[in-house]
Order: sequence, then structure tokens, then C-alpha cells
Amino acid sequence: MKTNLARLFLFTQKINRQHVQVALALLALVLFVLGAGAPEGGPTGPR
Amino acid sequence: MILLVALVAGMAVSLVLARIRKQAWGFPSLRFVWLVIIAFIPQLLTVYLPATRRLIPDVWVSVGLLVSQIFLLIFCWLNRRLSGMWLLALGLGLNFLVIAVNGGFMPISPQTAGHLVSQSILQTYPLGSRFGFGKDVLLLAENTRLGWLSDRFLLPDGFPYRVAFSLGDILVSLGAFWLMVSQGKQLRSLLERKEKVDEQCKQKRSTPLYL
Repeated sequence: MKTNLARLFLFTQKINRQHVQVALALLALVLFVLGAGAPEGGPTGPR
Repeated sequence: MILLVALVAGMAVSLVLARIRKQAWGFPSLRFVWLVIIAFIPQLLTVYLPATRRLIPDVWVSVGLLVSQIFLLIFCWLNRRLSGMWLLALGLGLNFLVIAVNGGFMPISPQTAGHLVSQSILQTYPLGSRFGFGKDVLLLAENTRLGWLSDRFLLPDGFPYRVAFSLGDILVSLGAFWLMVSQGKQLRSLLERKEKVDEQCKQKRSTPLYL
């Protein structure tokens, strides 16, 4: 348990601001293309 | 889906190019990312989330779609210096235009829609109604304004995924691809500029003060 916590702590230390920024930018681009275009094939049945 | 494929393909090509050139890989330095997240919320509620999209009337869906795309256009304007962004904006602008002049939804003809769903399902949708829970409205080609900008293209028969897309979607895909691929170039020019500045600083430091 203790080692797991230590590992988690080490892992979170490795995540720096740049990683978070890249993840956010990637999320933004994915949301952008989903929001800008037509992602769906069509309905699978009547509404 | 095709738009996401373009994005992933652009990222893959960008990574490969960076590896070949032995350069660091860079992601587009987007500004005002929060604007995209806010812009997506109306679409998330009206198109993507099954629990909420059933509850919201179509009028509000169309308003939400237009507002969402206006926010995305503002985002494009604020990030206009990134290469590829103008193509993204152009595609988005064309989609926005055709949606705006056709009552807030992307028009799709029954002929095109017939390639996406079976005839029995298609018959349950009257002309002028929203096509499923998506962004499309079923309209005859002759009743569609700016029909050349509507969802009228289909993937070739061999593809397992059926989807209709517009000229705007094609431009958005190309823009996303370009944006991702061009990042390596931008990063390289930035690094070169940084090296020059570093060199100039070194030269200045090495110059004796009394000169």
C-alpha cells in the first residue's frame, strides 16, 4: 500500500504543466472537430 | 468520425516526420481552449448524450448548434495565427452558413439518407424533420438552400462505416490534418530562432565591456 502510494506520488510529480496543456489542447481539438462536423452515420431507428 | 480520423492521421504523420528529422514533437499551441469546451456543451446535451437529447425540443437544438458554432468560429479567430486554422475556420464557416440558412440544421436529402439507414427507418422520418438525434434535417434537394454545402457526400461502398458529409467537413478534416502536420515545422523555426538569439547573447557577453 505504502509503495503504491509512493509510486502514485512519483507519477504525479512527473506530470508537469506542459503535459496538462497538451492533454487540454488535444481534448480541444477533438471537441472542435466533433462540434464542427458531422460525426454520425444516421439514426438506428425511429425517434 | 472521418474528422477524428483526419486528426489522428495528422498527429501520426507529424510524429513520424519529427522522428525522421530527429526533432522534438510539438503540439499546436492553442489559446482559449476553454472556449471550445464551452462551445461543445450545447452539442453534448442535444446531440451526444442519450439521456438529455430526448428531452430537448428541436428548436432549442438548432439554437444550441448555431451558438456552439459561433463560439467555435470565435476560437478560430483567436487562434488564426496557427497554420491550418484558416482552413478549419473556412470549413466550419461553410457548415455554419448552410445550417443557418436551413433552419438551424444541416440538410440531408432522402436520397443520401437512404444510403445511411434502411428504407423502413427512413420512412418514419417525414420531410423537414430532424434526422434522428443528429445535426441533420431531412430536406428535398430542391427545397434546400445552398445545397452544394449540405451533407451530400458518402464514403465509397467498401467502407464499413456509413456517413454523409459536407464540403465544410472535408475542409475541416484537411485543416485538422494540416494543423497537426505543420506543428513540426513551426517548432523547428522556433528552435532555430531560439538558437540565433542564444548565439547573439553569447556574442554580446563575450564582447569586452570597454569596447
